Amino acid sequence: MISKREIFEKLSNHIVQVNETINPEVKTYIDEYKGPFSQALKENYKIAEAEKLPLCQDTGIVEFFVFLGNEVILEEPIFSTLNEVVEKVYTENPFRFSLVSDPLFERKNTKNNTPPVVHIFQVSGKSLEIKFLVKGGGSENLSALFMLKPSIRVQELKDVIIGHVKENGAKGCPPLHVGIGIGGTSDKAMVLSKLALTKSFKERNQDPVYAVFEEELLKDLNTLKIGFQGLKEGVSVFSVHVEYAPTHIATLPVGVSLDCYLCRKGVIKFEDR
Amino acid sequence: MKIDEIEKLKVRELLQYTGELIVMRDAAHQKLLELLSKNSQLPVDLNEKIVFYAGPANPPKNSKIGSIGPTTSERMDKYLEMIFKLSVLGTVGKGKRSDLAVKLCIKYKRVYFITPSGAAAYLSKCVKDIKILAFPELGPEAIYNINVEDFPLMVAIDTNGSQIF
Repeated sequence: MISKREIFEKLSNHIVQVNETINPEVKTYIDEYKGPFSQALKENYKIAEAEKLPLCQDTGIVEFFVFLGNEVILEEPIFSTLNEVVEKVYTENPFRFSLVSDPLFERKNTKNNTPPVVHIFQVSGKSLEIKFLVKGGGSENLSALFMLKPSIRVQELKDVIIGHVKENGAKGCPPLHVGIGIGGTSDKAMVLSKLALTKSFKERNQDPVYAVFEEELLKDLNTLKIGFQGLKEGVSVFSVHVEYAPTHIATLPVGVSLDCYLCRKGVIKFEDR
Repeated sequence: MKIDEIEKLKVRELLQYTGELIVMRDAAHQKLLELLSKNSQLPVDLNEKIVFYAGPANPPKNSKIGSIGPTTSERMDKYLEMIFKLSVLGTVGKGKRSDLAVKLCIKYKRVYFITPSGAAAYLSKCVKDIKILAFPELGPEAIYNINVEDFPLMVAIDTNGSQIF
């Protein structure tokens, strides 16, 4: 059995850390950036870490991707543990409660940033891997789903993605991480696009054809010259990742998710011994 | 800041602003709109104020001031004429705004500033005082008054409608 306590402690610490400590891959880019507000961005991560303040006031909605081994035994449904972790982290730290209960009518703040969004994938074996994103609302509003024709050429698909980033990128606190989900069904493509955002910048798709697609798209997107803060200076996109899945012969669903320049994410693995 | 100073500002100009800001975002704007439609009295005076589109994080222990930074201004464009009619001098947020917002800046001779996004720990150090003015039940979406010192601003739309994005 993997104890609730073990999950709770490690995950709580990790979520606090990604809210307060700059993503090391991002830090390199900030340190090199010399354009408008560069001093503020450099000072920001130093102050946040030293004073245990969140890097961004929008401490997001926490989105979990749980890879649960079929031989793993848990004390309670993983959703309950994750809910409690988020409640503890957000009520005990100087973070923001950004969630409202019903989305349309009352929109009452839940006052503890719960519930998180949880996706569970059953895998074989004795391990439990939890990936997560701390997703801000500004970049989340730029998520998009395109239901394309299956006969579309690769360049046309690239143009759709480039057009979307060109139109919206400046609003998402660039430089951006671009996650693309291709295939499955409409809902699956969106989840895959989010999962793509959990990857490290230098990681490339295991399928060499998709790896080339990622690299070409990254190069093309950086010609848009969106830049830090949308002010046209510095890099526009840190990386592009694709996750794909088989799809229906009549469809080509493509989900696009954008992550803000802070790219707050984590991964933690547990073994059931 | 006074009206005549606002008119002199040019796009891309950088300022270190010291003074007052009224912090409010989506839900507070909507509440003001509803009050105005019922001819009710507003709980805040926006005359000659600058509105900062933001919702602060909770303050750390032993402090009143938490991380604070701009939210996407474009979402507030539908309320922009309402607050200009209430004599707001300018707005602060992040990102490009709609053509409507540009037209309103020209029509009312008002400006739109940006301030760095994702730099909320840094910006919180420029905040010297914060108090809730209205709608405390909205939590981070309540209306606050903050006093800031050397708060970084860049003119993103000036009174002639010239813009950065």
